[in-house]
Amino acid sequence: MKILIALFFLFTLSQAVVLNSQMQGYMKALEKQAKIENPSFESFDYKRGENLFISEHIGKKGKLISCVSCHTDNLSKKGMNKRTNKVIEPLSPLANVERFTNVKDVKKWLRRNFKDVYQREGTAQEKGDVVTYIINKK
Amino acid sequence: MKYLLIVAIVLAGSLVASPNEYGYDRDEYKDSRGYYDNDRGSSVDRDDYKYSRNYKRGVAPVTDRLYARECGSCHFAYQPGLLPERSWVKLMKNLDNHFDTDATLEIEDNRKILKYLIDNSAEKFINYKRSRKINDSISKDETPIAVSDTRYFIKEHRGIANRLIIQKDVNSLSNCMACHKTADRGSYSERDINIPNYGKWDDD
Repeated sequence: MKILIALFFLFTLSQAVVLNSQMQGYMKALEKQAKIENPSFESFDYKRGENLFISEHIGKKGKLISCVSCHTDNLSKKGMNKRTNKVIEPLSPLANVERFTNVKDVKKWLRRNFKDVYQREGTAQEKGDVVTYIINKK
Repeated sequence: MKYLLIVAIVLAGSLVASPNEYGYDRDEYKDSRGYYDNDRGSSVDRDDYKYSRNYKRGVAPVTDRLYARECGSCHFAYQPGLLPERSWVKLMKNLDNHFDTDATLEIEDNRKILKYLIDNSAEKFINYKRSRKINDSISKDETPIAVSDTRYFIKEHRGIANRLIIQKDVNSLSNCMACHKTADRGSYSERDINIPNYGKWDDD
């Protein structure tokens, strides 16, 4: 019985979001590109992704901005666009099943949001890292 | 027969005389030609009357799902009738720097949305009161890309204390829904204004 309970706990803890096939294909493509751009690249990394997500940078308005500025540090909660006051649905697929299901949308937001926070597009490695962080953050 | 005739005359009379048909209210904008008459119940300009048959308050509501989804994910989905065609063309050309934000779209989506905006821009809906007033307040050599930069908009919002605008619940004048509770339905009528931490708005 104890073993069963332990197994159940392990199961709930390890419960990760499974990406659909188009998203898996996108992540594979990013991985391939990351290897070309960086020969020492091994795999996408949660920690690097977290750093990309929470670190602050000078945005277009000359003010410090990070992904957290709008999405907050709780990805299962709603965020808010700081400029327009528009509510942003939770980023985490654990709280919002729509997230990370449509490659076109994911590409669009990664492109736009990297430009807003970093004033440049993200590299393949950075995109993969930040997606890895977002989909796994509890 | 006589009775019917009287009813018909009364009906016709009410159609012509009712000032509400023209969507009149206190905040009328009067341009240099005196196109709009501010006095309630006064006789209507001849040209104005031509439009009265289909005259509507507010602006035509948003009908395009792609537009509502794409543009409405970051901000209020402003009705296309709030700006003239040339404004939408300019705006959609510069989405890489859209009010200091990257709002770029796939070319195909950009094209579809621009077509919707052009087909429904202010000049095409001058039977809607707000479209007409905004459009009439923009001079021919201007191409504003923000509704809040048009003369009519500025005039309509000038009496509002800055602290009410910059407060957290509102943030800026571009956040229509913060005060215009029915803006998403294309209605900007005074009776539907409720400013956070202030209340109902009364021009008087």
